[in-house]
Amino acid sequence: MMQTTSHRVVLPFYFYAALAFLAGTVLLFDAVPVFSGHFFHPKLLAVTHCMALGWGTMMIMGAAHQLVPVLIEGKLYSNLAAYLSFGLAALGIPLLIYGFYTFSLGHTAQLGGILIVASIVVYMINLAMSMAQSNNENVHAVFVFTATLWLLATASLGLALLFNFTTLFMLKDSLGYLSLHAHMGIVGWFLLMIMGVGSKLIPMFLISKYTNTRLLWAIFILINLALLSFVFLNLFIAPGILHLLPLLAGGSAVALFGYYCFASAKDRIRKKVDEQMKLSLLSVLLLLIPMVLLLLVVGSLFVYQKQQNTLVLAYGFLVFFGWISSIILGMSFKTLPFIVWNKVYHQQVGLGTTPNPKDLFNSTLFRIMALSYVPGILIFTSGILFRLPVLLQIGAAGLFISALFYNWNILKILNHKAVKA
Amino acid sequence: MNERTNNSVKCAMALTALYQVFDPELGINVVDMGLIYAIDFNETKKQIACEMTLSTPFCPMGDSITQGVKNALEQAFPEYTLSLELTFDPPWTQEHISEEGRIYLNN
Repeated sequence: MMQTTSHRVVLPFYFYAALAFLAGTVLLFDAVPVFSGHFFHPKLLAVTHCMALGWGTMMIMGAAHQLVPVLIEGKLYSNLAAYLSFGLAALGIPLLIYGFYTFSLGHTAQLGGILIVASIVVYMINLAMSMAQSNNENVHAVFVFTATLWLLATASLGLALLFNFTTLFMLKDSLGYLSLHAHMGIVGWFLLMIMGVGSKLIPMFLISKYTNTRLLWAIFILINLALLSFVFLNLFIAPGILHLLPLLAGGSAVALFGYYCFASAKDRIRKKVDEQMKLSLLSVLLLLIPMVLLLLVVGSLFVYQKQQNTLVLAYGFLVFFGWISSIILGMSFKTLPFIVWNKVYHQQVGLGTTPNPKDLFNSTLFRIMALSYVPGILIFTSGILFRLPVLLQIGAAGLFISALFYNWNILKILNHKAVKA
Repeated sequence: MNERTNNSVKCAMALTALYQVFDPELGINVVDMGLIYAIDFNETKKQIACEMTLSTPFCPMGDSITQGVKNALEQAFPEYTLSLELTFDPPWTQEHISEEGRIYLNN
């Protein structure tokens, strides 16, 4: 029998990520007053890393331990490495966030950064060994592994920047590398990973006949071209019109991926799309908004510094709280109930009626979560763009409520005990 | 009843039992999903040979689905021993879904 990854490996990642999302919304509320200032602020660094690492990365790494065996058609190399990877990141992330929040970038933050990099190295080795023993290489697996390489590059650069804050050893000060660090993470890690996994799962969930490996390779090349050219331009060329090139390549890749999703949906056998899939598909739309903002940011390089700062804040907010969060909010209820259902009802299947996996979470709580999340995003973004603190507070409150209901539902799933339907 | 007819009746009974095993994501039973490739009864050895597949190798729900097939057949035929073989040759495709399965997915 083909062994899939144990639920024990995956669940801690989900639980940790849920708590980080809640913490992220608390930090966001606390950071409302600083949204009128410069984006480089201790509180904003804290909230960004809480969302990027604690929420996004922990959730994706957890899900990857379950999904990579599906992609490579082979089993996970080591459960122990997965636990180790979780433990290192779980310790490192709060240390780093505490360091940012208090702006004490010395030993505590540096130790946090080292633990996070170590966690990623262990994760990457586990992934590489799993792929090596499966002998099944495919475009999805290449996306996932390359995304992990970009994650390692992002975290390593981040760690170097931390040390550079206390002892200047790089060519520029750390602020000069922030854009590079952020985009290696956003595009190299999150976008590439989401595309690699999404291109396999979207047709799978919709039962679509559509496949287009050549298109996926084209997307892969465009994304990496965008990233490599961005790294080169950022390091060696002063800001200018050339900086639009990576955006053009990345934008084309996103458009092609949008086409891939559309074609998959068009050719699907399963007509009814559930709420969780709808929330995840919303993320494709939410990706377009930060891309337009990014275009404006690059455009504003030639105009006003003040407008540029506002656009950068809106862009960063929409990436982490909008795009990445909407995918996770939807997909957690698409994956976690199945993992827990598998654990609880594995022996009972076929012997009588059991609840469906979707019965493990409360759909009313899910709806309240979605209904406080979407206005929360829109109101907070308006607050940033119009510089209105009251909108920022209302938006942050909406997101906090959304995170509370998300956590409530996640706990409900995790504590599910066997019942007869 | 001759042996061949008997085998057909038993296979029909086995399929009836397997109609109660569902793919938890899609809500279709494993028969309409096209996951069951073959069922054969050996009356001499009192054995059931069942050949099945999954929609993808290392499917996260694979263990539960195969366990479900095992449970359903063992419950329906307690006097038989079950030999369950998981194969990916040929691999499952959407074409394996029955007309009933397609109608269910369309609604």
